Amino acid sequence: MSRFPRSFGRPRRLNALKFFAAVAAAVLFHFLGVRLIPHFSQVIDVFLVVAVLYGLEGNSLGALFAGMFVGLVHDSLSGGPFGLFGFADTIIAYGAARLAQRLVIQRATGVLALVSFATVAQQAIVVGLALLLLPTPEVPNPVWVAIRAGACGLLGLSIYIASAHWRRTSEARRRGRMSRLRLG
Amino acid sequence: MDGSVDERRTGWVLIIVLAGQLVYLATQGARAGNTLLESLGVRLLGPAARSVANLPQDVAGLGEGMRTRSSLLDENRRLRREVEDLRLRLLQLNDVQGEASRLGAAVRHASPPLGRIRAVDVVYADHASWLRTLVIYTGGAPALVNQPVLSANGLVGRVVTVAGPYAKVQLITDRAASVGAMILRTRRQGIVRGSGRGSGTIELGFVPLQADVRPGDAVQTAGIDGVYPRGIPIGTVTSVSQGGQLFHNIQLAPAVDFGSLDQVYLLDHEPVPQELRETAPLERP
Repeated sequence: MSRFPRSFGRPRRLNALKFFAAVAAAVLFHFLGVRLIPHFSQVIDVFLVVAVLYGLEGNSLGALFAGMFVGLVHDSLSGGPFGLFGFADTIIAYGAARLAQRLVIQRATGVLALVSFATVAQQAIVVGLALLLLPTPEVPNPVWVAIRAGACGLLGLSIYIASAHWRRTSEARRRGRMSRLRLG
Repeated sequence: MDGSVDERRTGWVLIIVLAGQLVYLATQGARAGNTLLESLGVRLLGPAARSVANLPQDVAGLGEGMRTRSSLLDENRRLRREVEDLRLRLLQLNDVQGEASRLGAAVRHASPPLGRIRAVDVVYADHASWLRTLVIYTGGAPALVNQPVLSANGLVGRVVTVAGPYAKVQLITDRAASVGAMILRTRRQGIVRGSGRGSGTIELGFVPLQADVRPGDAVQTAGIDGVYPRGIPIGTVTSVSQGGQLFHNIQLAPAVDFGSLDQVYLLDHEPVPQELRETAPLERP
């Protein structure tokens, strides 16, 4: 499996556009999921997956703000103090970006492990903050956290494989077009 | 060299951003507040939630219409009979209400008015996660912060954030929510809040061990918390055990099925009379 596609050399505006499109898709996916599956929000955190995958592109400053934005979007759709997920996702996305700068994630299973670990870490940060801020906070069930980690990991893996496949296909198509141009 | 400088700068940005968020969170505290950022978020996401909420309903409604066409006549007949029965019952209740008013007037007792209710649509309901919430669409007349939200079966929660035609509701199953409640059979008062077990159950606290509480007892709002009026069903006692040295540990099953809410009611209710609100503390006798 190839290394996770990096965005070096790409116009920033296009990257920002892609990011906002990903957030919009995540919001729609979340709304549909919550509408159709009763325990969807307990099992899948699509916003975190977006934050981690964006972080994997390796731009730590961009990932930091992307994580914060995605987290605040999630905060708008959840109870509790506003900013819990914003804080947690900022750290997670930044951590993912720093990791991507140091490690070359060669296998898709690496993405699965990373997203799963990020899910557990995010829940730990949110619970820690809730314990600090709320007088009698509710703590999520560890079984549900484990299920959530697995489900988010699988979602991250699926998006990663799909995007890698799409990139390969479009690259091959572009090369074919270029060679036809040269022949002509 | 440039890379390490950039990373150091990013590290500082991270620290500043995290510190800013922590300060923001700390100033909010436990208050589920009507903050500007939260209102903006709800306002931006509300229309998308509303569109998605209408989508499956329309598709399902189309299929259902085709299926139920044949049974509409039967249902219509049954509903007509029900309307007749209810009209009869309303006549009886009018009599009872008149008598209660006359008796109340005789002893100079004035019960507070319950207020007006209006139906609003639920556009987003997250009742499963541990930070559960509900987003409603109120249309042209916006909701008010702390406005009680009901369903046909009982109490749902209160409005915590208002964002134009959208509002965020804190459910009574939320660990941070508290409702002044009483056991209907004995009039014993306590406080209902989310049990924090993630299963959407609620518990009734601060009921002393001497109090008579049994499984099956109905619990309703007591009207003592300044938010909810008296008499709205909250739930039913499912189990009673000795919680500590002073109070019972009472578990309740909510009267409302939070998973099936697609329409709720906003209660226009003024818990504290305007005259009392306008009176300055020093002027009070």
